[in-house]
Amino acid sequence: MSDTDQMTDGTELRELRDSLSAVAMPERPRLEAITARGRARRRHRLAGAAGVSVAAIAAGTALALGTTGAAGPAPVHSTSRTMATGTIRSLATGTIRNAAFKIVKNAKDKATLTINPQEVLDPATLQSDLAQSGIPAKVTSGSFCSSDPAPAGFSQVVSMPPRAAPAAPQSGVQPTITFNPAAMPAGTELSIGYFQLSSGGQQASFALIDTTSYSCTSTPPGPAGPPDGSQLLYGGPGPSRS
Amino acid sequence: MSNDETAFAEFFQESWDPCLRAVAASTGDMLLAEEQVAEAFARAWVSWRKVSRHPAPRAWVVRTALNAGASWWRRRARELPLADHDVAAPGSPGTGLDSVVLSALRRLPARQREVIVLRVFLDLDIETTAKQLAIAPGTVRAHLSRAVTALRTELAQANTTEADPCPTPTR
Repeated sequence: MSDTDQMTDGTELRELRDSLSAVAMPERPRLEAITARGRARRRHRLAGAAGVSVAAIAAGTALALGTTGAAGPAPVHSTSRTMATGTIRSLATGTIRNAAFKIVKNAKDKATLTINPQEVLDPATLQSDLAQSGIPAKVTSGSFCSSDPAPAGFSQVVSMPPRAAPAAPQSGVQPTITFNPAAMPAGTELSIGYFQLSSGGQQASFALIDTTSYSCTSTPPGPAGPPDGSQLLYGGPGPSRS
Repeated sequence: MSNDETAFAEFFQESWDPCLRAVAASTGDMLLAEEQVAEAFARAWVSWRKVSRHPAPRAWVVRTALNAGASWWRRRARELPLADHDVAAPGSPGTGLDSVVLSALRRLPARQREVIVLRVFLDLDIETTAKQLAIAPGTVRAHLSRAVTALRTELAQANTTEADPCPTPTR
């Protein structure tokens, strides 16, 4: 063992090591949250590569067909990337947009979700895109998960304008919800339950859940919404769409 | 669950706390460290085949976490006032770390702090630490020696102040 190696066993460094090993560590996140984040990251990377490939193929095709120049279509300048799924991600603004929803992440790391009532939400896509925006969420369709008792702090995590939470579905309104993931207590995630109502409207219920203890039910929360949570009722894509 | 997924799950379970401690010691902020380490583990999951063959996967995570926070550190360094003001409030919420140790660590130059993190908190040997930082083993020893000297001085001063916070002036 070298002098330096012996030195690392010295009092100062032992104290240093001990001072941190004695610290109570925050709860480890769920493995699923990490892998969801990794998947979102990989998908984002692939989307970028696919965008470049599509652009290159398009350019090559245009050159081969001789359609560039004055006779060709006007060039399109965009800072966004389009995925095969129809999702557009603007790297500059932190916006994720597709037909069913838009997520805008602002500078304070809050994120705003705007739902298009004319489209059906894909829960897996929403969950993945929320994870990419730093919001751990469990998004379910046709069921809703909750903890009893619900973790405290929901009102600090989720906010929505009063008009966004009407007692009955409203057509033509694009509900907007703001999330503050920094306010989420450790060991919790957001539960979002999405239901297509027989009336043609849609319902999205929100609550905080304890990641180690929750249960899911296919019965949608009543019009008042889940206890310690909130709820959106909005129109389409049922009869109002046709 | 595939073998790769099982292996990653085990690695994640065993390595989260040591990696978080190492990054928290380097950044001085537990909340920030949590975010950086989560990001690093997400990247490790994406590149698990490569990371699993890495000679020190925990070091890979810590380096990735610190790189992810490098821009934050640069901003922070510009915002920090003089060294005398660079003392975390005792028991300040959010960090959960010993403020004396923390402020002593944060006064170290970045490279010395990295050496301490890898050598002490991840318990890597000199050779592996050198490889991780892409520097010579002798340079690691030099940084470690200087860091130990600086920490010894800092902690001794802190102990003296703690023992006699208001010394009586001598005439």
